[in-house]
Amino acid sequence: MNKVTKALLIGTGAAAGFFGVTFTVYFFNLDMKLTALMEPIFLNHYDKIKKDSHL
Amino acid sequence: MAKKTGAEALGRFYTGGKVRSRREWRGFKDTMYDYSRWLVIMGTLGKFIIKPRNIKAMFRYRWMANYLAVPMMVDRHTQGLRGEYLRMCHVEQDLIIDDVAKLLDNLFRGDRRIGNDKEFSKKVVLVDENEMTAVMMGFPTLKTLSRETPSTYVPVLLNQHAVEYYLDKIEEFGLAPDVCPMPAAEAGVSVDDDAPILGACAIQCNTTCDGSLLSNGVISKRLEEDGIPVFQIGAPLRHREDDVQEYAAQEIRNAIAFIEEHTGAKWDWKEYFECARRVNVATRSRMEWLDMNRTEYPQVFGSNLALYTETNYMAICGRIPAFEKADRKLCKLAEQAYAKKNMMAREYRHRAIVWGVQSHYYFDFLLWILNCWGIVPLTDMLSMVSTKIIAEEDTPENREQAYYDMAWLTENMIMRNRTHGGYKVLLDELWEFVDQFNADMVILWEHTSCKALDGMHGMFEDRAREKGVHLVWVEHDLFDPRIVSRQGVRDQINSYMRTVFNEEPLDPSLEILDDANSW
Repeated sequence: MNKVTKALLIGTGAAAGFFGVTFTVYFFNLDMKLTALMEPIFLNHYDKIKKDSHL
Repeated sequence: MAKKTGAEALGRFYTGGKVRSRREWRGFKDTMYDYSRWLVIMGTLGKFIIKPRNIKAMFRYRWMANYLAVPMMVDRHTQGLRGEYLRMCHVEQDLIIDDVAKLLDNLFRGDRRIGNDKEFSKKVVLVDENEMTAVMMGFPTLKTLSRETPSTYVPVLLNQHAVEYYLDKIEEFGLAPDVCPMPAAEAGVSVDDDAPILGACAIQCNTTCDGSLLSNGVISKRLEEDGIPVFQIGAPLRHREDDVQEYAAQEIRNAIAFIEEHTGAKWDWKEYFECARRVNVATRSRMEWLDMNRTEYPQVFGSNLALYTETNYMAICGRIPAFEKADRKLCKLAEQAYAKKNMMAREYRHRAIVWGVQSHYYFDFLLWILNCWGIVPLTDMLSMVSTKIIAEEDTPENREQAYYDMAWLTENMIMRNRTHGGYKVLLDELWEFVDQFNADMVILWEHTSCKALDGMHGMFEDRAREKGVHLVWVEHDLFDPRIVSRQGVRDQINSYMRTVFNEEPLDPSLEILDDANSW
């Protein structure tokens, strides 16, 4: 296998892998499912911030 | 899973939690298109969060957590869309996301708590969220930034519960709970010390109502404590009267002089007239879409019309060239779809004008009435803004006219141009639009905290009876779904459609949705 063919195969494999992973994340809404888990962690953190609340 | 419009039951994606089970299959071509735009959105978000100062801001400001839900907002506004309609929605939403990301990035760059770039901050003019940015059209070297847009206005579009914390906070300080939640939440952010601190000066406007004036007072007090001087534009409420226009123009001259004094920048007429030309492009585009919506084959309507018009007309006001490009793309897509007599849903049963101040926590309601009941929201009150073509050629006469044009735009800010100015603009013109658009029903949002509109309830009913038009009231509380939930909003339409029209839904899975906990 020459270098060009090898590079093409690696490129195609990487593109297919990228598509496979990202399309699965997209279709099954995994990005939103993950961020939904992150929200309560952030909210707990905000509750602990000292702020100068006044009118 | 289906390619055909309306072939998939959209209600089945709701899980009772914050997010949906999966994204929609729209056929190969449209799904791949939606996926590619999702990648672009993820790229925009990634580019934003990779900056250390933006990470710091994410951990400092509570309202930033809502931006975790950006892709879901797009999903809400693309529900059931195919072909040109899906593309129109992405042209708009992707641009708005990019614009808001830039706004946030600039805010945090100048924010004394985060980036603290003092030289940059000296070039920043803060503007009220509910305000035309017309007075900034001639200042190309300054940055026009709104703190309220990313802290309250956009978050409610992302997450229905976004500002409940700030509403509770301002009520802890004694604000009555029946004040409109929009200005109340803005005041809550300020009182809770949760607004970025930056800017050479700020411009506020007596935009919509007494509630807005209240929040402006609370916010300006805090701004001045931080050493940021504030100018209040007092735009006339009776904006259709000729005798108020000179006063209105003088307010614009005063605001420009104030900005020049506090930033050292000089008004640039060349830039102003270039922005004015873009405002006219946007106006002509909107008029073309409204003309199409008067026919049997409306094309740019619902969220695609409402959300984009709010952004482009008010917040952008000709200042960002990318929106002109988007206007042209939208016109092209709309013309293509019109030529093919395309429809956004599989069946159109009713033609509706949506009037009143719409629920912000349920902005995708416009798409819901289409997908669930086949009601076409031909246009909405907030999209029926000025159609006046303003002066765009730089001549001595037009330089004088420009002050009147900026004043006119400011007076005719979204919502304000209908909620103030007398019953002609709110009541009479609604029925003119009903005739022009050949509508058979009016959906009238009743924002329970809006004193300006609630007083007209009986007059709307009288006119609807006289004209024999179906009038459906839909109560909501703008930013607060704890008062009327999304299902509470839907129930009001469901009851009318079943009991008065005796109809069954187009998509029964959408009639009752478990989305009280959803973003």
